Amino acid sequence: MIDFTQLIQNENMKIYRRLRTVIMFILILMFNLLFGVLFSLDNGPGQLTAWDAVDQLSFLYFLVVIFSTVVAADIVAGEFTWGTIKLLLIRPWTRSKILGSKLLSVICFTLLLTAWFLVTSIAISFILFPNQPSVIFGQGANPFAYIMEKLLYSYIDLLVITIFSFMISTVFRSGGIAIGLSMFILFTGNIFTMLFNPIRYPWAKYMLFTNMDLSQYQNGGGNGVTGMSLGFSSVVLAAYIIMFLLVSWVVFNKRDVAT
Amino acid sequence: MVHKSIVSPGTLSVEPVVRIQGVSKVIGSKRIIDQLTLDIPAGQVYGFLGPNGAGKTTTIRMMVGLMSISEGDIWINGKSIRSNFESAISDVGAIVENPEMYKFLTGYQNLLHYARMSPGVTKERIMEAVHRVGMQHRIHDKVKTYSLGMRQRLGVAQAILHRPRLLILDEPTNGLDPQGIRELRDYLRELAESEGITVFVSSHLLSEMELMCDTVAVIQQGRLVDVRSLETGIEAEGAIRETFFEVNNPRLAHELIGEGRIDKGCLIIAADRDKTSQINAKLVNAGISVYGIRAVTRSLEDQFLELTGGGQID
Repeated sequence: MIDFTQLIQNENMKIYRRLRTVIMFILILMFNLLFGVLFSLDNGPGQLTAWDAVDQLSFLYFLVVIFSTVVAADIVAGEFTWGTIKLLLIRPWTRSKILGSKLLSVICFTLLLTAWFLVTSIAISFILFPNQPSVIFGQGANPFAYIMEKLLYSYIDLLVITIFSFMISTVFRSGGIAIGLSMFILFTGNIFTMLFNPIRYPWAKYMLFTNMDLSQYQNGGGNGVTGMSLGFSSVVLAAYIIMFLLVSWVVFNKRDVAT
Repeated sequence: MVHKSIVSPGTLSVEPVVRIQGVSKVIGSKRIIDQLTLDIPAGQVYGFLGPNGAGKTTTIRMMVGLMSISEGDIWINGKSIRSNFESAISDVGAIVENPEMYKFLTGYQNLLHYARMSPGVTKERIMEAVHRVGMQHRIHDKVKTYSLGMRQRLGVAQAILHRPRLLILDEPTNGLDPQGIRELRDYLRELAESEGITVFVSSHLLSEMELMCDTVAVIQQGRLVDVRSLETGIEAEGAIRETFFEVNNPRLAHELIGEGRIDKGCLIIAADRDKTSQINAKLVNAGISVYGIRAVTRSLEDQFLELTGGGQID
């Protein structure tokens, strides 16, 4: 199995040798810088501290979600669009291994982009804002731990959407549909949660949308009435991820490449 | 060109590189390929001929595992493509239709990509393949700057990287200019002769096949219609061909010679080379002006059209 790393290397080459990917990294830096500067102008110096700014900038994480979705949408569909799938699948590798290498490369990409986001937002915050005790977090709190926990929840959210995009990419062989549907889920999730509130509709607590935002449980928050908890949502999300992956694998393995 | 009669599968003593046994492809209620059985002997350039829609590409896609096989099986070097895919495919290099490459990568990066997927392909081997197809000056340029001919060469390079024993090319001359077609044809022949690679090449162009192949299998509507071997080279001495004599007085000429027929103002006689010159002397001596003599071979094209009924698609 040592050779499997070669497949990952290939997928990485196809992700990072594209101008698009470089632009994504630059955009994350630029937006963090832009909003960092805007916050510092708006509030005047001395109001926000560095850790407060990091927390404020975390809303920009949706950029990471979008970029991850785009890369996942393209990683299988792109091969079909370019026609390279024909040359890719006639190598001494089973389709499962090739799909596996693609999935792993996408996950590595999301981790790298997340790390880049964290590093740039912290760096920019500490350059633009004073490193003083936080106004928002209060005395004795550990802002870094709080931010990391929030980021972890956001990352799980990202992972679900990214794998959904990966599945659509595999099933429909179209990056456009994958990006479109993923964005639809990303932006309409809240509306669905409002329309089908688990308090009124018991079945709604098994919906993907109601469980995606794990930060709803942060600071001891939870939905006691409906029986939803961090553990419950984690299990539901895991079930959805497994389902997405199963669909991807079955379709990819069975598909006749006729384009 | 002389065409030898049918080579039936199974009469060849050497183990074939490819054995296609009772293969069918059923999509919905339609049988795209119907009970196809074919052996491809080692070291040949083997043509796969048929009109568009006959099932050539489908067959090739089943051979390389891009499409599933509904019935039957295909063995490459004795290894089943259905049950032992990774092992069977490692002896195969292929271009399925146009060689599409990653355009945002350089030619070299494309080759590196495929080299990583086969065991034992070194950087030296990549450069060797690059030199073989004459791409050394442009290999570090991005593929999007390549012409179709250059992409075709890169396609051949990726197909031979891992020294396969079987090279499968699906319509390799599609979209190439005559110069490119000629280069590719010469190159394939050379590969087959110098490296002992078996080449399986599909085309709907008969003239191509005649120039390139040792054996041609003809497929129509998903069924194997004919397998024949082609002997290339100079016309045999005693071959009798339809010979057209263009003369000023065909009727008189016909009476004088006493055989043949008249068509489009020409006297047509079945004759070999000696007889042709004798007839010519006779006509000239009798004072008949001979404007031209033309021998017509019934080409593979005619025979093919006969076999496939004009190549209509259902």
